Amino acid sequence: MIKISLCLFLVSVPFFAIICSAFSEDRPTDRRVLVLLDDFAIKSSHSIFFKSLETRGFDLDFKLADDPKLALQRYGQYLYDAVVLFAPTIDRFGGSVDAASLLEFVDSGHDLILAADTSASDLIREIAVECGVDFDEDPAAMVIDHTNHAVSETEGHHTLIASDDFINSEVILGSRKIEDPVLFKGIGHSINPSSSLVTKVLSASPAAYSANPKSKLSSPPTLIGSAISLVSVVQARNNARILISGSLTVFSDRFFRSGVQKAGSTTKHEKCGNEQFFVELSKWVFHERGHLKAVNVRHNKVGETDEPSMYRIKDDLEYSVEVYEWSGSSWEPYVAGDMQVQFYMMSPYVLKTLSSNEKGLYYTSFKVPDVYGVFQFKVEYQRLGYTALSLSKQIPVRPFRHNEYERFIPAALPYYGASFSMHSFYVL
Amino acid sequence: MARDLGILIIAVLVLAATCESAVLSPVSESHRSAALELFSPADGSYGSLEETYEALKTFKVLGIEKKHDIRTSSCASVADTLKSTSSALKDFVDALRVNSILKCELNSEAVRGTQSRFKDSLNGANSLIDFYYSIGGLVLLKEQMSEVDVNLGDADRIFRSIKALGQSDGRWRLSSNNPESSNNAAGIALEALAGVISLATPQIGNSLITTLKNDILKLFDGIERYDDGTYYFDEKHVGARGHQSPLSSSASVVRGIAAVAAATSETLNLPGEKILGLAKFFLGVGVPGSAQDLYHQIDALSYLENIRQVLWKLTFFRALYNKAHPDLKIYSSDLDFVAALVRVSTVLGSPAPTLSVRLMQIFVSGSKDASVIDQELKFDAVSGMHVLETLPKNIDVGSYVFSFEVIFHNPEHKKTYVSGGRTRVLVHITGVIKIDNAEIVILDGDRGSVETQKKLKLPGDNTVALSANHLQKLRLSFDLSTPFGNAFKPHQAFLKLRHENGIDHIFLVGNSGKKFEIILDFLGLVEKFFYLSGRYNIQLTVGDADMENSFLQPLGFVELDLPDAPEKATRPPPQAVDPYSRYGPKAEITHIFRAPEKRPAKELSLTFLGLILVPFFGFLAGLVQLGANLKSFPKSTVPSTFAILFHLGIAAVLALYALFWLKLDLFTTLKALGLLGMFLMFVGHKTLSHLASTSSKLKSV
Repeated sequence: MIKISLCLFLVSVPFFAIICSAFSEDRPTDRRVLVLLDDFAIKSSHSIFFKSLETRGFDLDFKLADDPKLALQRYGQYLYDAVVLFAPTIDRFGGSVDAASLLEFVDSGHDLILAADTSASDLIREIAVECGVDFDEDPAAMVIDHTNHAVSETEGHHTLIASDDFINSEVILGSRKIEDPVLFKGIGHSINPSSSLVTKVLSASPAAYSANPKSKLSSPPTLIGSAISLVSVVQARNNARILISGSLTVFSDRFFRSGVQKAGSTTKHEKCGNEQFFVELSKWVFHERGHLKAVNVRHNKVGETDEPSMYRIKDDLEYSVEVYEWSGSSWEPYVAGDMQVQFYMMSPYVLKTLSSNEKGLYYTSFKVPDVYGVFQFKVEYQRLGYTALSLSKQIPVRPFRHNEYERFIPAALPYYGASFSMHSFYVL
Repeated sequence: MARDLGILIIAVLVLAATCESAVLSPVSESHRSAALELFSPADGSYGSLEETYEALKTFKVLGIEKKHDIRTSSCASVADTLKSTSSALKDFVDALRVNSILKCELNSEAVRGTQSRFKDSLNGANSLIDFYYSIGGLVLLKEQMSEVDVNLGDADRIFRSIKALGQSDGRWRLSSNNPESSNNAAGIALEALAGVISLATPQIGNSLITTLKNDILKLFDGIERYDDGTYYFDEKHVGARGHQSPLSSSASVVRGIAAVAAATSETLNLPGEKILGLAKFFLGVGVPGSAQDLYHQIDALSYLENIRQVLWKLTFFRALYNKAHPDLKIYSSDLDFVAALVRVSTVLGSPAPTLSVRLMQIFVSGSKDASVIDQELKFDAVSGMHVLETLPKNIDVGSYVFSFEVIFHNPEHKKTYVSGGRTRVLVHITGVIKIDNAEIVILDGDRGSVETQKKLKLPGDNTVALSANHLQKLRLSFDLSTPFGNAFKPHQAFLKLRHENGIDHIFLVGNSGKKFEIILDFLGLVEKFFYLSGRYNIQLTVGDADMENSFLQPLGFVELDLPDAPEKATRPPPQAVDPYSRYGPKAEITHIFRAPEKRPAKELSLTFLGLILVPFFGFLAGLVQLGANLKSFPKSTVPSTFAILFHLGIAAVLALYALFWLKLDLFTTLKALGLLGMFLMFVGHKTLSHLASTSSKLKSV
């Protein structure tokens, strides 16, 4: 018995050591990535993408999606920080994994890259719907664009699209502007207009539509124009990030290496933008960019350094917070001009933009309102592509004490004079 | 109009050979550049001899002249490995393989030493890997050094002991105590057996070779197949050497078969369809991303060419014809110049033997009807292409499936080449579509009389401004025709109305023959339009894969006046929020403080203070003027002390009040006042009682 437990202990020690080195508050970048494939050929045909992940320090674990030994967690601990789901045709996962467990994985703050494709299975569509994205229901439909397709010798249905309608966000797509159009061949999706978590990253042109290229249209297509999203990202409230692409081929070496020429244009790009676009996007999804943390939230009265337990109305106070962004390897100061603090009780009484010292420190000072009660310092920072910062610190505000009112009111001098002269009379 | 369309561009585009999958082109420049990129040595040499061999072999097959000078370093490493006594068998084999390509000058002593190593290990071998490396080593020695004696005396025994590891389904086990068999091991075993056959001094018996051939055929029975005719050897078993991908196990089997074919110099009668399917599999990988996969792909393709020359499918080239002709009649004869170019090559891109390509059938895409044509393509010796010089007369803009067949001139070639029978190719013939008689009309509902009529220029800038109410109709019509005047039905003909608030309504424009027309009856559409009056922008999109001038055109707007929505009408759906406006800083809020009370000016208060002090000073003046007497002040010591103390106490209270105003708070003041009060009571009582006694004395006196 002792032997068995000793064995268990010895086995579990390195296991917990792995868990400890995983995703944490201090190092938000994912480390261990599970790659689920339809076919091991994808590992080779999409190797540039995988190699870029590996060179960035990710530990990729390639598995067939129907591997019977597949498991996301063991003993209640997740074995991976992120999943790359490159298995568009899979009907059912192997092992203990199913759509619900995958969504639970995301719900617990882990990341997901999902690539669908023509003939995407119901399982993949179901996961996408849960993420706020609806793929075209027609299984034979593809995104067709007769005016913005890529010139190709081998593709005649105009389903190979050269799109350059990117989202304008440096944090999602990197600081270097993507000059070359991205090649796309696959299915389109629409995003739920009421969802504030899903964002279109690559949209189709206004002339595009989603239909079966081989059959005549009998009714207007449901997805049309720039409402079609080709690639979308989701940032959940718990900062889990999801990338959803309507095509698996866009990640392939063939597309990464391919050149592109837009129809009707004479400029021939030596290389299409796919590699830059998807590598940058994967950096964002795996929290190598746009992950913020706030530390050293301080507030004090002007001229003091200690944090008081309470403020009096009309006190002058100073508030400061330090914000850092994770760069993939270290925390760098985050510089922006739109960080705001609220002094909040039921509704904001004061909302002020913080000044920045360009080194991550944000500060401001203001006068406490002449309303007493329990207030909060609130920083609600939500920007496109950045993780949400939500700080709040409660602080009571009291009215003047009896001896804190004004003492020598000039207007009252006659009264003082009267009383003192009366008293003096009396003394005399 | 005709002049605008004067330029007729006919492009012959080609789709997949099988109409379904993407075009698989033979090994090409992209493989060569990938090979140079993937096999780039770090500081003049590769990591291991195995890697060196893979790089050299790939370069050799692809015909790349060595760009990286690795000969010196590799040869040194080969010599080192062969000299050392501690190297593993595998390293010897890798060294000899590298040597077989580089032809280094080796010390014959060292080579002889390795020969005895190989023979020793062969005698003691019991696992397939041991057999493979020792036999492989001997075969390499035989090829490289003619003077070394490598003949096997007991070839039959070795052959049988390798054969004993084989399974009934054609697969092999790696060793006798490992029950799992794999295709990868089968490839290794076949290579080893081929080596035994070539090394055997008394020739291996024919019966053994026949069983070996049967094993190969059995192995092919277990091949996996995709729907598009691709064949490959899958690997379910995950062995000690890690997971073998289908690519590496298929390559291993191909290598084994090629070795057997070379050693026995007999035809194996392998099914041509499966060989073609394997070629398809290797080419279908595209350009692999890892060095090892590239080696497996290229190496296997080179062996496939040796087993049977696989003719790769017909590769087409885009042919553009561009000529201005205002007269329509000439177009039909112009089409005759359109050339479909067909290149036939082997999988590795080398030219095919003499053969002819015939265009057998043309299908209209999407229908079963075929026009049977038996037309031979003309071979252009300079470019190595087969050219279809004349297209059949009835071909117009559209999508067709061309069916080609390869016919060998020399019937012998049928045995050595696999061509895969008929090849069907999807061909798009594109052209500029003529758009005429485009107009947009507002009709009166009842009579159908024309209210407003605007001619449109398509494609071109149009900004029509229309207005209509719910009793009227909007009609848009235009004609589409091909350069030959036939009707053309594009895949995409959408009319889009977009309301100011961003809600889109899409309508398909239907046709009858050449004429495209859509009538929007607003009375029936009010509900669909959510009773929203206002400006609707009109947009027309016409596009097709075969239409060179697909367009998306804003036409202008129509101002609709619709009735008010009834209570139960459906609300318009929510529109997507612009992601940029959803985020961003909020407007600043500053607290507005309560305004302080109004107070009189300081001067006014001071004036009144002065006025109030006037009586006090008047009193003081009066006192001085009149002369105050202190007659009744007690004279004796004790009462006078009390009286003084009483007066001092009153003054102290005054001082306390002054302090209260200036500094103290209420509680301190009250405390002090209490004490002072008690003191005053006491001294006041004493003083008063003294005064009372003196006055009663006076009265009594």
